[in-house]
Amino acid sequence: MVFARPLQRTLIRTSLFRSHFHANHCLLAARKSLRTFKLADIGEGITECEIIRWAVKERSAVQSFDPLCEVQSDKASVEITSPYDGVVKQFLVGEGEVAKVGQGLCLIEVEDEDDTTGVEITETTDRSPVQQPIQAEDNTRTEAPQSAHVLRQRHPLDPANVATGTTDHVLATPSVRHFARQHGVDLAAIAPGSGRDGRVERKDVEAYISSIPVPEEVETTPSQEGDAVVDLGRTRYGMWKAMVQSLEIPRFGYTTSLDLTRFHGLLPILNAHIPTHYLPSSSTQSSSRVSHMVNPSALYPVPQPPSVPESGRFSKMTYLPFLLKTLAISMMEWPLFRASITPVTAQETNNKPTLTIRPTADLALALSTPTGLYTPTISSTQSLSLHALASRVTHLAHLGRQVPCGLTVKDMPRRGGTISVSNVGAVGKGEGASPVLIPGGGVAIVAIGRAKWVWDVSDEFYRPNEGMEGTRRLKIDVSWSADHRVVEGAELAAFVETWRGWVENPERLTAEAT
Amino acid sequence: MFASLCHVASVSAPLVRTLASLPRTALTPQSAIYVSTSSNPYFNLTLEDWLFRHYPAHAPLLLLYRNNPCVVIGRNQNPWKEVNLRVARERNVPWIRRRSGGGTVFHDLENTNYSIHVPRASFDRAKTANIVVRALHALGVEGYANERNDICVGGKKIGVFSSYVSGSAYKIVSSRAYHHGTMLISTRLDTLGELLRVDKPTMNTKGVESVRSPVCNLVESNPRITHEAFVEAVITSFRKEYNVGDEPCVVGETPVYVGDEYFKVGTAELLGWGWAYGQTPEFEYVLEKRFRWGDVTSTIRSKHGVILSCTFTSSTSTNIQATLDELGRRLEGKRYGFVHDAEIFSELGEYGSGEMAESEAGELWRWLQAEMKG
Repeated sequence: MVFARPLQRTLIRTSLFRSHFHANHCLLAARKSLRTFKLADIGEGITECEIIRWAVKERSAVQSFDPLCEVQSDKASVEITSPYDGVVKQFLVGEGEVAKVGQGLCLIEVEDEDDTTGVEITETTDRSPVQQPIQAEDNTRTEAPQSAHVLRQRHPLDPANVATGTTDHVLATPSVRHFARQHGVDLAAIAPGSGRDGRVERKDVEAYISSIPVPEEVETTPSQEGDAVVDLGRTRYGMWKAMVQSLEIPRFGYTTSLDLTRFHGLLPILNAHIPTHYLPSSSTQSSSRVSHMVNPSALYPVPQPPSVPESGRFSKMTYLPFLLKTLAISMMEWPLFRASITPVTAQETNNKPTLTIRPTADLALALSTPTGLYTPTISSTQSLSLHALASRVTHLAHLGRQVPCGLTVKDMPRRGGTISVSNVGAVGKGEGASPVLIPGGGVAIVAIGRAKWVWDVSDEFYRPNEGMEGTRRLKIDVSWSADHRVVEGAELAAFVETWRGWVENPERLTAEAT
Repeated sequence: MFASLCHVASVSAPLVRTLASLPRTALTPQSAIYVSTSSNPYFNLTLEDWLFRHYPAHAPLLLLYRNNPCVVIGRNQNPWKEVNLRVARERNVPWIRRRSGGGTVFHDLENTNYSIHVPRASFDRAKTANIVVRALHALGVEGYANERNDICVGGKKIGVFSSYVSGSAYKIVSSRAYHHGTMLISTRLDTLGELLRVDKPTMNTKGVESVRSPVCNLVESNPRITHEAFVEAVITSFRKEYNVGDEPCVVGETPVYVGDEYFKVGTAELLGWGWAYGQTPEFEYVLEKRFRWGDVTSTIRSKHGVILSCTFTSSTSTNIQATLDELGRRLEGKRYGFVHDAEIFSELGEYGSGEMAESEAGELWRWLQAEMKG
């Protein structure tokens, strides 16, 4: 029976001790030592637990993986199992008391069967009456078995166990593990064994050993040929530095989707009326359907439209300029999103941080180019017409595509934007990006996905009584990350709703046009 | 159901389960997805525990169930502090102590329980919470998990505080962990409030006190949501997260399960005094009452459902005080809330049944007994 075995062994040991009390320490008879079982890091940032119940009594025997106690912390009830075979000598924390992570929970007396010589093993003295609290010399003791060739598999809750993420969990006592390791046997190959609950027993290991025809060769270290080492390059290294800096910004995410159906419906008309000076020179499309039999310039010359470089010309309106324009209008309604953290000089570091709010909506556009990731700025976006914006975006993209990069310091001023925009949807059909805030990139960044048609059965479109079975809508995912030092979740959510109000009702722009 | 609790003998099996003490079972879990058609909370909690202990440790598992009206307290909570026992008795709503930690929740047929079991090494509260959040999104509800991994709904009106639609609790053993929670679909929130409203500011408990939070139902966001729709959505979300193709195994209170040793012992344990009351952490309750013969302050200390000490201080005469002291001594070792008159007065020769109603001690005892019943 479970209880009888250790008791038997204790009796035998005691008699050995009595007769060899002054004997040589290097005898290979099994030694006993007292270990402190500490409360291991349970994970999830928990620093202390309350002991609800001890599953065993003091001075009772336990085996590895037998439940020892139950603790409670932060809505989690955790069962802790014994890391060793042995006898629980004394509780260090009582029921209802709180233990901190790393604090000793109880003392367990353990037998050691490792036969490494040259290690000073301290012994417990069985002769002293049990009333005295037993001093545990656990520090020296627990270090000993960690010598290289006697590596015990750590119990998952052993405080010295660093989580390695292994998923296989083979049950076996330490002595069996040691035996297996001595013979170069991997326990996972034998599991499950013949013991209780699938434990691997010594006889399983012996059977396995005798069944292996040829000892396995140790693998040689993988060859180094074929690996190539490259430098990061100036732009990628710039990204590295910026991202490391970004780690100090606490950010939260917020994702939603915007309905572009109404804007999509306007595209044919918008595309049919792109002014000539924005159209590519090679385009044969005429921008105006109105034919002038009478010349408007007859009385007085019509002001010439500004000259637009070829790189800034476009033949089709896309979603991005529209989203940028509506974002800029929303920013005018929300001073917080026109703010940036005031750069602090060395002398001023003791003052409280301040925000600098600008009168204009400046956006940083994240561009992925053949030469790397750049973030040029579009200043005063709110003052640009949709055409002008489309032209600017096209122009910046053109400059970015050049090798070497055509973007200059003028395009990427230090002042930057207060919101960064990343059009990752152009690259792939990803859903739910999680963009990283770059220092100097403003208080928030939004990643715009790819527009896709979906079937919408929300209450607006699904009214079976009236014969409405849902409808096809064009949606685009937008994923936000904001700097939580200055932006509240509710503020970002409300700001996004303001933006939505413009995006989903593009007709409103006609009332705003000046 | 309530009356039976005080008469069931203390269960002999230890209440922190050892591998040796787990009841035997002849059954094996068949699928990674379980849906229970039973609404018996004792059966469902035992089913959850059986799956937790017997499904392969490395594989994720999902269980969905709903219960008849009952109040469920956390493993380390004080029922006298968490449950309005008087209202529960009046409405014939039982209360049950579950095996995971956390606070008190109300179950009824309009709220659905989900339980996600994963290997301990990969347990991540945010990940499991998100499985349910994504199910909500699929149902058209803008739910999200807050920093404590509770699931909330912010509502379309920005600026209104978000409300909880779900409470969560966890259990962790050496190789496995689960996250389970309730999802309020269309529960009677007034009933929930009444059952969980306990006004005992002078009862101080070790252990876990519930954090009261504003709650709302999912139907407030989408009136079309039902238990079945939620179940389907969670199954889909779970399947996607863990790439599971299993067909759901639908389980009811059939003879195969009900007759299994594990289920028999497990449900009996949940019903027994030893688990329900005997797992209550230590608490102290200070009560005051003005009688016509004096003012009495009573201090009761209890641990594991048993009265450790009961002392009275009063402004009354020393004679009466002496009797009160004796009464307090006799209460030591008795089960809190389950003391019969006979246990207190039978040994006291001076108090015959006729005089008991008259005596000061009797009056005090009647008051104290009513207070302890909750």
